[in-house]
Amino acid sequence: MEPILSVRDLAVEYRTAAGPVRAVRGVSFDVHPGESLALIGESGCGKTTLGLALLRLLPALATIPSGEVLYRRRDGRVVDLLKLGREELRRFRWSDAAMVFQGSMNSLNPLLPVRDQMRDTVLAHRRMPAGDVRHLAEDVLRKVRLDPARVLPAYPHELSGGMKQRVLIAMSLLLDPQVLVLDEPTTALDILTQRAIVDVLRELRERLGFAMIFVSHDLPLAAELADRVATMYAGRIIELGGVRDIFYRPRHPYTVGLLDAVPPIAGDLPVLVSIPGGPPSLLNLPAGCPFRSRCGHAQDDCAAAEPGLQRVGVVHTAACYHTVPADRRAIRGEDVTSA
Amino acid sequence: MRSKAGFAGFLVFAALVLLAVVGPLFTPSHLPTDLNAVYLPPSGSHLLGTDSEGRDIAVQMINGGRPVILVGVLAGAISTLIAIVFGSLGAYLGGWVDSAIVSATDIVLTVPQIVLLAVLASLYTLDNPWVLAVILGAFAWPYLLRSVRAQVLSLKEREYVEAARLLDLGTPHVLFREILPNMATFIMMNFVVTMTNAIYALVGLYFLGLAPIVDDNWGAMLNKAWTRGAVFYSDSLFYVLAPVLAISVLQLSLVTMTRSFEEILNPRLRQS
Amino acid sequence: MDATLTEPVIRPARLRRIIGPIYRAYATRRVLKAILTVYLVATGTFFLVRLLPGNPVEVYINTQMSEYGVSYADAASQAAGLFSFNPDRPLPEQYWEYLTGLVRGDLGQSLLSPGTSVLHIVFEYLPWTVFSVGLGVLLSCGLGSLLGMLMAYRRGGWLDHGLSMLGSFLHSIPNYLLAMLIVVFFGVQLDLLPIAEMRGAYSPGVTPELSLDFLSDAMYHASLPITVYVLTTIGGWMLVMKSSTVETLGEDYVTVARARGLRDRRIAAQYVGRNALLPVFPQLAITLGFVVGGSILVEQVFQYQGIGFLLLQSVQRRDYPVLQGILLVLTIAVVAANLIADLLYGRLDPRVRGAAEGGAR
Repeated sequence: MEPILSVRDLAVEYRTAAGPVRAVRGVSFDVHPGESLALIGESGCGKTTLGLALLRLLPALATIPSGEVLYRRRDGRVVDLLKLGREELRRFRWSDAAMVFQGSMNSLNPLLPVRDQMRDTVLAHRRMPAGDVRHLAEDVLRKVRLDPARVLPAYPHELSGGMKQRVLIAMSLLLDPQVLVLDEPTTALDILTQRAIVDVLRELRERLGFAMIFVSHDLPLAAELADRVATMYAGRIIELGGVRDIFYRPRHPYTVGLLDAVPPIAGDLPVLVSIPGGPPSLLNLPAGCPFRSRCGHAQDDCAAAEPGLQRVGVVHTAACYHTVPADRRAIRGEDVTSA
Repeated sequence: MRSKAGFAGFLVFAALVLLAVVGPLFTPSHLPTDLNAVYLPPSGSHLLGTDSEGRDIAVQMINGGRPVILVGVLAGAISTLIAIVFGSLGAYLGGWVDSAIVSATDIVLTVPQIVLLAVLASLYTLDNPWVLAVILGAFAWPYLLRSVRAQVLSLKEREYVEAARLLDLGTPHVLFREILPNMATFIMMNFVVTMTNAIYALVGLYFLGLAPIVDDNWGAMLNKAWTRGAVFYSDSLFYVLAPVLAISVLQLSLVTMTRSFEEILNPRLRQS
Repeated sequence: MDATLTEPVIRPARLRRIIGPIYRAYATRRVLKAILTVYLVATGTFFLVRLLPGNPVEVYINTQMSEYGVSYADAASQAAGLFSFNPDRPLPEQYWEYLTGLVRGDLGQSLLSPGTSVLHIVFEYLPWTVFSVGLGVLLSCGLGSLLGMLMAYRRGGWLDHGLSMLGSFLHSIPNYLLAMLIVVFFGVQLDLLPIAEMRGAYSPGVTPELSLDFLSDAMYHASLPITVYVLTTIGGWMLVMKSSTVETLGEDYVTVARARGLRDRRIAAQYVGRNALLPVFPQLAITLGFVVGGSILVEQVFQYQGIGFLLLQSVQRRDYPVLQGILLVLTIAVVAANLIADLLYGRLDPRVRGAAEGGAR
């Protein structure tokens, strides 16, 4: 199947007082229709920037010096989003690809009730009689399990965090987009609400079949919702594979470290291993592999040049010269025989 | 001060104030009336020309700043003191004290100041600079009080105040040693603004003839210029223009100064 | 499953029933404060005019007695008519008479033209000031806000820098000085404006009526004062609106609005403009109070017969009842403007309306 979104060598640079900072340094991946891709990484790895760049929603300080974002439209034509003119971009936004932002606290205009904001969204793209617009709004709200009669006339400050998040998800579905990008959909919500959001998202994907890209640092979320997972570090994807590959056979030492840092919910508590040190400064990246200083497996050739993504499985790649063996257990030092 | 314009403003402001305060030491304090020299245009001996009584305008300008600035400083001091004391008390103590202070501030804010001044001027002769200073200062404190109160409220939450409070060092200590020094720049700017507004109001009073004219201050010059029709002759232009320009330059330098301060205090206004 | 997921939201109808009384409480509190302010000013005036030594009532009575040989009782009753309370009665009674008179609208009579009620005189001059100041402030605020928003959108550009400088420059000239400068330069030196003709609120010989001719004549005469009001206050509006807009542009919901593919015009109006305008409203009332005060100076320069002009005249002629009346009327006007601005703000910002509820969290 042809991918619906193809990112090729995308780079994003921020202009700062201290000099240019390359937050994204050459990222490539494909997303197929109906597929769900998770972008996982620590704070500052560039995942949010990448998400914003896909819809060209970066702040004025950021530029995209190189790369392509190829999108297959409903009529089959492929366009580079980075080359779209203003009006084309405006029409593309929301009707082809929508985004649900991080921290929904302030994502809605505090002066307009929800119904007006939904109507604004629809009428910016379609001509529709008022009654149809209202039905559409009610429809999407029900899809996220909200009561339209209560939510539509309400102002944003009258809704709880979880409800606002669901309103935003509902709003993103108004124009039946082919791609949905979510930035930290469950962060800053309590456990029960997180559960609700995850269920809603899963249900919506089944029913509506859009492709989903979500950015998170929450690994269990990826395990639940993703078909494929990409881990990011220092502005690059350092491992990319199916969800089972990543969780059962992680190959990049960083991914292994991430997984090891999460305690299991059942069973004995193993010795928790966290990754020492912190992410490198994007202003002064060291030569070679950026993970080198924190990696337990680093060797001399790691300092020479940054590794590119190398094939380590059927549809599994990792950017490492000395990937971890496929058997995870051995790394944790557990007795392999105690299954 | 980062901005060049702000620094320039500061220099001009300081220079003007200095000239007005120190200048009179070098100029004759009383000018004789010389009816032969009425409304002379600017020349070597009279830099800005002469007025309707033949007296040198430049000298009057230098002499005339001091009485006005003096009252302005007094008024500024009085209102700043009231604002700091009650603003910080209200914010720090909270409760009904705070509500009472806020209500009083709102009330004083809504009464039109100049109107009340006019009424007072009609009832009493406003010739004593202290009286003038008190009256002018009595209206200026609401703005500063609000700002002080807001600042104290926000600073109240900061860690070092919490620490001092935990150490049970007492209200006055926290107030004077922790909070106020942080606001020093802010208070200073407000003092300067209040002072200049008082000057402007005072000159207005003189201009309208509401305050009796005892010496040649800027407001008196304006009043005489206006009432004696100096406006209508190009020779006497400077009689009108000089005080106008002086006050405008004072205000302009002040505004430039405060704007650059504002940019420092509110980083979002800075150009990236 | 559904029951656990629909969180408790306050239903709209119930919302209004809960919010209603609270909003009304906010409104009533503001109205009460307004009434209190007026009461305090009225009392203060009474105190000034009646109680302090050398007060005008005493002076009037003494003058009447010494210069016209009028008996104390007669002088007192004359004063009673002029000042709207009888000085012969005990003090608390005087105070009460004064207050009740106020409520009835009896502000006494003019000292210099006995027989003409103060209220009548005040209302002859007041409309002109309301007209010029009102138009001036509205124009200034409207234009200033638009420019401020433009400056925010084009931050750092030549428009931004240029207008900032212009705004600061104009802001620093006190209004009456600007008025004088206009008279001096444009009127006398350059002879561009027919200053002598433009004096006064309307041309002599023209009778006030609701006709286009009269209105255009009134506008002609009001144009200079209005220009001064606009020029001296527009800088402030530009600055307030610019910083408010800059802040709003950084808000999440603006980015989300762009992401939703809304047209720029809609975003500028409903998402940026409306939100950025909120801080402007409280400022409007304060400015109105300011400019009203400033009218005493500007009207003097342009000889415009508004209430500022009357105020000065009354001070010069020591017509105390009129002065008293003007002070009260102006205070009431400013207080009312403040009140309206506050209540309007409450209507515009739904968060203030529902403040007590604090959202369904």
